[in-house]
Amino acid sequence: MAQKDKQTPVDSYLGEKIKSREGSFYMFLWPVFSVLLGLAASGMMMLLLGHNPFLVFLKLFSFAFRDMYNVADIFAKAAPLILTGLAFGFAFRATLFNIGGQGQFYMGCVAAVFCALKLYFLPSFFLLLVCLSASMLAGGAWGAFVGYTKARFNASEFLISMMSTYVALAIMNYMLRGPLKEIKGEYPQTDVIAQNAWIPTLVPHTRLHWGFVLALGIALVAYFVLWKTSLGFKIRAVGMNRNAARYAGIDEKRVFIVVFLISGAFAGLAGFMEVNGIQHMLVQGFNPMIGAEGIGIAILGNAHPLGIVLSAILFGALKVGGNLVVQTSTIPSSIIGIMEGFVMLFVILSYFLQDKITTRRSKKELRSKEKGGVSR
Amino acid sequence: MSIDHAVSLKKITKSFPGTLANDEVSLIVEPGEVLALLGENGAGKTTLMKILYGMYQPDEGEIFIQGRKVTIRSPHDAMSNGIGMIHQHFMLIPVHTVVENIVLGLRSDSGKSCRIKEAAQEISRLGRQYGLEVDPYALVRQLPVGMQQRVEILKALYRGARILIMDEPTAVLTPQETSRLFEFVREFTDAGNSVIFITHKLNEVMEIADRVNVMRDGRMVGSLRKEEADENVLATMMVGRELQLTTGERDKLPGKTPVLEVKGLYVKSNRGNMALEDLSLQIREGEIFGIAGVSGNGQEELAETLCGLRRKESGEILLSGIQISGQNALSMIREGIGYIPADRHLEGLVLDMSVEENLVLKNHGEEGLSRQGILFWKNIRDLARKKVKDFSIKTPGPGTRVKALSGGNQQKVVVAREIMIGTRCLVAVQPTRGLDLGAADYVHKVLMEERSKGKAILLISTELSEVMTLSDRIGVIYGGRILRTFDREDADIEKVGLLMAGINGDKNGTEG
Repeated sequence: MAQKDKQTPVDSYLGEKIKSREGSFYMFLWPVFSVLLGLAASGMMMLLLGHNPFLVFLKLFSFAFRDMYNVADIFAKAAPLILTGLAFGFAFRATLFNIGGQGQFYMGCVAAVFCALKLYFLPSFFLLLVCLSASMLAGGAWGAFVGYTKARFNASEFLISMMSTYVALAIMNYMLRGPLKEIKGEYPQTDVIAQNAWIPTLVPHTRLHWGFVLALGIALVAYFVLWKTSLGFKIRAVGMNRNAARYAGIDEKRVFIVVFLISGAFAGLAGFMEVNGIQHMLVQGFNPMIGAEGIGIAILGNAHPLGIVLSAILFGALKVGGNLVVQTSTIPSSIIGIMEGFVMLFVILSYFLQDKITTRRSKKELRSKEKGGVSR
Repeated sequence: MSIDHAVSLKKITKSFPGTLANDEVSLIVEPGEVLALLGENGAGKTTLMKILYGMYQPDEGEIFIQGRKVTIRSPHDAMSNGIGMIHQHFMLIPVHTVVENIVLGLRSDSGKSCRIKEAAQEISRLGRQYGLEVDPYALVRQLPVGMQQRVEILKALYRGARILIMDEPTAVLTPQETSRLFEFVREFTDAGNSVIFITHKLNEVMEIADRVNVMRDGRMVGSLRKEEADENVLATMMVGRELQLTTGERDKLPGKTPVLEVKGLYVKSNRGNMALEDLSLQIREGEIFGIAGVSGNGQEELAETLCGLRRKESGEILLSGIQISGQNALSMIREGIGYIPADRHLEGLVLDMSVEENLVLKNHGEEGLSRQGILFWKNIRDLARKKVKDFSIKTPGPGTRVKALSGGNQQKVVVAREIMIGTRCLVAVQPTRGLDLGAADYVHKVLMEERSKGKAILLISTELSEVMTLSDRIGVIYGGRILRTFDREDADIEKVGLLMAGINGDKNGTEG
């Protein structure tokens, strides 16, 4: 009976917006426009570096969409970014700052590669399932620890999660130099994991694997949990007014732990995707920015699962195109980071501007109503 | 243009999203006078004063101080123009000492000493001069509210304020403290200084003001000399409509069966000392038990204990004769105790959530609203529609964010929810704080209705008239215990007022 109804407060809130003058058209125009502005600003930087931005962008996009392989790679790159984006975004819904996505990701990587190396004899499906669960558990436990310190000692989750990343890094490095070091014993890295621990590819002859679909599923789960379940209801209530939530009998401490557990599991799963989906091994100092990029992506996507998916894909495209541009020209590789940074900056600016404009408009409406002599 | 006005505001306009807070408001304050700024909550008094104090920038309009046109961009600018403001919510740092709070933010070129010792001496001197003595080295968090207000006043005086803005300063004071404050105001203005006194209490206006300006809906609707004004005229100007105040008429007497019983309750405050000492009370079915008292005498702790947010040291809480543990907020909700908190923005509502979400904030786990953790939005919305209708909550729809509602309608959301929760008992703390008279009256009516339905209602309020009007019995709380309980007929303001200040006529004085 009731489950059929899909109207959530958020839907209706959006519904109201769409019905008003800020129609859906504008809602999509804002982010698109700010992304373009961000790209334009990074174009300026290219000018300063002595490159023609138009040529660079032309190259970038023609590279990114040159062939199936590159297009698929965009989504392959986006998959773990969706998850680290969710790792920050999900916790952010409870106004908790999970800065430690990187560490939770590393724990996920270590767990996944450990299982893949030690249980190589299992049938593929089970091995993958074990790696997946292990990575989520490891990342989740790592996150839950942060939530626990917050709940138990009222520690700053910002600092604890950030610092726990360094501990995770140290653990990973230890594993790579000790128990999991390659048999050759030359570099701090593992051996290549057995083929049956590889996530099957989605599009043949590309690097795009089923992990992307899984990431989309996880985003959907995150949305469902936040807006359709009473757990999500509690999470959002704690996020928006911790005091009122307390008065309403919501155990905020439990929420802290659960939220960090889930967030950490998302980041840990990203580790599984990178290890079992792309790298097929674990190397020291691997993917050191994925946590930070997740934060940016979550902000870009307004901490909404759908927004996070879209921004992760955008970042994936910038990475694929950007990498190829950097490889084939003299432009420094930091230009990718600059582009990502500017895009984030302008999107955040657009939130601010949108707010200003709505405010001014409502002021004007109110004024004209008052002048018209309509009283309340 | 006369250049003698202490302050002159000309056609100040200020709007916020959704409201026009000030609409071409003009105001003049003469040197040596007390100007009362009167109006219901939300009339724009505080906004206007925050503009004068530099906390908001006006959209339009001009400000003149002593005939000089000024632009006040910040409280610093205001202070250098001799303007000080005593906020309704004190702007003090609790963990700092009095003197540290007072010198905080002083610039080295202000001509005032920032050295603690000298400053402390100066503060003591000012305190003696105006009868506002306070220990300069005391920690602010250890001071009672009345004392904290003194610190605020001294802060302004130390900065050489000649124009003092006081935003509802008596809300937190005992009658005795209030008359002390009024003495200060008179001394201060006799020296040629000015005071702008924001209030919505008519009796205070008649007592202290030389002149009265009345605001309504963001506009200045009148300026009267005190001689021209009386309480009726002012009330009419203030609300601009006829009011039918609840008289507290009751159609039936309370029942005999006790519903909520508190026996020998000991509870610690945040500071670790006993906030409630051996507090006992009993509320019968269909009875409103009012707790009168100056804030900070244990009301907050009592309320928090009853809603499960504060652990009791010892004592019993019984509901219909059965002892309840009161382990946490959820268990109290399940016991059927509704709780209308003092601060709806902070404690009662999640402003960024919708009306329907706020309505089910406490009972979304109940049968019919969710099953196995999955919410039934359709049922929630149906319930919300019904409540919106029953309580005539003015909202575009149940999906509208509560933030967008007016204060009165926000409170209706809280009241509607708590009546749903409080099937047996309701605890209402300052249920009409910050509401305009119309909305306050509505809340009172609802409480009376629930009383008639047989619920036990605990009303905790610092608004003495509210307690006196609604309650069947009145307990006066002081220093964490109920000093005396009056039946409705026997309570008079004199006696209750004295008890509120801890002066017990019958027995020996109670230690605080």
